[in-house]
Amino acid sequence: MQNMDQLSDVLTAISHPTRRAIIGQLANGPARFLDVAKPYNTALNAVTKHLKLLERAGLIERQKRGREVLISFRAEPLRQVAGWVHEYERFWNERLDEFEQHFQKKKEEKEEKQ
Amino acid sequence: MSEAMKTIEVKVERVIPAPAAEVFDAWLDPKIPGNPWNMAEKLLLNPHVDGFFYWLIHGNSHYGRFTEVERPARIEHTWMSRSTSGEESTVTVTFQPKGEGTLMTLVHSGLPDTPGGRGHEKGWNFFLDGFHKRFTDASQKNK
Repeated sequence: MQNMDQLSDVLTAISHPTRRAIIGQLANGPARFLDVAKPYNTALNAVTKHLKLLERAGLIERQKRGREVLISFRAEPLRQVAGWVHEYERFWNERLDEFEQHFQKKKEEKEEKQ
Repeated sequence: MSEAMKTIEVKVERVIPAPAAEVFDAWLDPKIPGNPWNMAEKLLLNPHVDGFFYWLIHGNSHYGRFTEVERPARIEHTWMSRSTSGEESTVTVTFQPKGEGTLMTLVHSGLPDTPGGRGHEKGWNFFLDGFHKRFTDASQKNK
């Protein structure tokens, strides 16, 4: 089996809803870091961590354009691994997304009451 | 291991914003959305060591036997369904405290690596729909 490590990196990279959203955003075209971070109500260093995982998986690359650094999406690693994803990978990811959201919602409701 | 018996393992992780015991209990409570027992058309669930489950969803039957139930750290059970081609696969879920939350790791091992099981386009629709056009464009460029 070729590139098992790369496969693990790609699957890790796409296992988080925020990282999937970032890929979705970058699939529309390259963007600057602050533009990538803008839609997320989260600390900038959390976005940096997400981007590092995406970069390690080869799903994004950074290019310097003058003073700016543009982040762009690379589809190739996804195509390479698409054939390896088992239907249970999808099943458990969907289930755990829902499970996580349940607790997230519960936590937010609790915080609103305080 | 022969080619016919080749199996694969699926690993999924999430950090859940709640203590491990609460997450553990929720995972075994069919009322909580997202765990495997939720949304069943028919469910028999006895989450104790050597207890069985039967889970029917979209007309597909799933069977298994609990082999480890260690609150709040670990749950392991076997899993048989149409997708495991009659083979007994294993689902192991661990719950480790992480900050104020819980790192939940689910490993589904012993899955037959059959073409039908691999999802391919079917399994990727949830994720790739939005990228379809871009993928098509990119592959045409490569030709």
